[in-house]
Amino acid sequence: MTDSTSASAIRAEGLAKTFHDPQRGVVEAVKGVDLDCRKGEIFGLLGPNGAGKTTTLRMLSTILAPTSGRALIDGIDVAEDPLEVRRRLGFLSGSTGLYPRLTGRETLRYFGRLHGLEGDDLEAAIARAFDAFDLHAFGDGRCEALSTGQKQRVSIARAVLHDPPVLILDEPTTGLDIMASSDMIQFIDSRREAGTCVLFSTHILSEAERLCDRIGIVYDGRMLAGGSLDELRAITGKEWLEEIFRELVQRADAGEGAA
Amino acid sequence: MAGGPGSALSQAPRQTSAAPRTSGVLRAALAVARKELGESFRDRQTLLYTFVLPLCMYPAMFWVMVQGVLVVQGQKQARDVTIGVVAAAETAEAARDQLTLDEEGRGRIEVIALPPETSQESEVIAELIEAEEADALLFLPEARSDADPAALFFDSTSSQSETARGRVVSALEAWALELRQEAADARDIDPAALEPILVQTRKINPSKDEGALVLSLLLPMLLVVMCVLGAFFPAVDLTAGEKERQTAETTLLLPIPRLGLHLGKIFAVCATSMIAATLNLLALGLSAGHLLGQLAGLGDGAPKVELPLGALLAIAPLAALFAFFVSAALTGVASLAASFKEGQALLGPVQMLFMLPAMATNLPGMELTASTAWIPVVNVSLAFRGLLVGSASAGPLLICALSLTAAALLAIWFSVRLLSSEEVSLSSETIPMARLLRILRSR
Repeated sequence: MTDSTSASAIRAEGLAKTFHDPQRGVVEAVKGVDLDCRKGEIFGLLGPNGAGKTTTLRMLSTILAPTSGRALIDGIDVAEDPLEVRRRLGFLSGSTGLYPRLTGRETLRYFGRLHGLEGDDLEAAIARAFDAFDLHAFGDGRCEALSTGQKQRVSIARAVLHDPPVLILDEPTTGLDIMASSDMIQFIDSRREAGTCVLFSTHILSEAERLCDRIGIVYDGRMLAGGSLDELRAITGKEWLEEIFRELVQRADAGEGAA
Repeated sequence: MAGGPGSALSQAPRQTSAAPRTSGVLRAALAVARKELGESFRDRQTLLYTFVLPLCMYPAMFWVMVQGVLVVQGQKQARDVTIGVVAAAETAEAARDQLTLDEEGRGRIEVIALPPETSQESEVIAELIEAEEADALLFLPEARSDADPAALFFDSTSSQSETARGRVVSALEAWALELRQEAADARDIDPAALEPILVQTRKINPSKDEGALVLSLLLPMLLVVMCVLGAFFPAVDLTAGEKERQTAETTLLLPIPRLGLHLGKIFAVCATSMIAATLNLLALGLSAGHLLGQLAGLGDGAPKVELPLGALLAIAPLAALFAFFVSAALTGVASLAASFKEGQALLGPVQMLFMLPAMATNLPGMELTASTAWIPVVNVSLAFRGLLVGSASAGPLLICALSLTAAALLAIWFSVRLLSSEEVSLSSETIPMARLLRILRSR
């Protein structure tokens, strides 16, 4: 973890989110998450369902406003200038659906225009996306008629059309078949070389082990520990990520402080 | 990770973008509206209510109605009827001659003579009609005007008996004229002199004004109803439908100001509402003229219905304000729903809040005054009626514009407030109306 804020693509401090639930009353979904992801780094948020991963990612992508704390995306404060943050961000999750009545090309054109691309630049960007994600066979059909894998490819193209320096992916392989899942993993890996900071959440340990430069373990709305796999081994004294995860969760349940 | 250089972040300068902001709120709203409209017009229900209904349904519906009425009328006239005549022999014979005169396009009237002692009690006559001996009974005590009045008995619940009544009355009127002419000739006087008071009624208004009156009963109501129906499906589709399709998150990621996003949705709903209302008014105006013309046989006294272009243009600014009011209100309420079906259920009662006041404006005595002009919905309907019949004055129209502007702004605030709420925009459950106030008051 670096002290230099200039090298950080995503930086959060004490990020918290409280909801009012009619049945449960006040719910603290995220209880003060600190995070630092650098440019060209792949950072995985690992945690069980309900740990606060999605809420954290939604705050970072300006979908939700933090109750407290502060976050910067590419140096821009998410609370102060959410519009500029959205311009520098590509976001994708299982619930970022495509507009069913638009074609893939119309979807890309719509997002491209709103990202400030126009005329030949816009069409060139769309053509590049069609080539990169092999959309030619189905990109001019309505999204509602596409298969899950085809939709996923259009969604990725939509998220990176404007070449954002930061990419946030919320459980990007959930619900995908083996081929689509493999494509997604390859895509994430390829962004490292492009110098993009990728923050993604998952509960699939093998994905995190294979892809991530660093991993953050999230549990009960808190970041229990974060670092490279070797750093996490050193913190817990365990070899495998699954053991590391269990050890950290048990410590948290026992009331021991996070590492 | 935890316990990282948080202090460094706190002390870091708050950097903001130096890039020029090309997407203003209005520009963003128009871009969103354009996309939403394009998508809406690929939705079957929106297409049906916005385009297909006014362009095809009204002319088709009116054509079927006119043809149906003409066919029914023709069939009634061509129907053979039987009249039982109760009179002295000579009078009964004279009546037979008059009633059975051939008329082109009309069915035959068969006259049967009934005994002079036939009872005039309803039960007896009803039995005769039920036994199909006669469709109506005519009692003619004497065929001269100084005798007891003639009595015609018929069953108003029977179409055949009703037709027989009409045919007899028509024949008797012609016979009466003939008798009066004979009497006048016998006394060598003008037949008109036999009428103590001869009243001729003449309309002083052009038939065009009658047409405007007819339209004033139809079009204002239609303006309100079609604005509401035109906004109904897009309002649900762009809010609850978006949640159901899981595109709400996608939309929230658009790199545009949130206000522009929400206004864009309201603009799209409003545009659909205005298109639906305009097409419906034009289609109904044209169809109604054709309908009334055909029904009245285009006689001199028939109301002349012309498309009231002047009134349509004059009401356009008020209608636009009303469409904004309706669209924003429906969009706001629909945003509380988590699915299309629940959105429709929520908007059902809300649309009645618009339609009932519009119906009330058809009550006798309702007109646009300085008082009624303040009441949204009622005011736009009454203003349109006033413009159609030429009774609207500037003062109430101005009040109407102020009132609708205030209502539209309030509804837009209400809608944007709800759409901006995280609880509303991302909820997977329909928000109960009881929580509405808390959401509106929350920061």
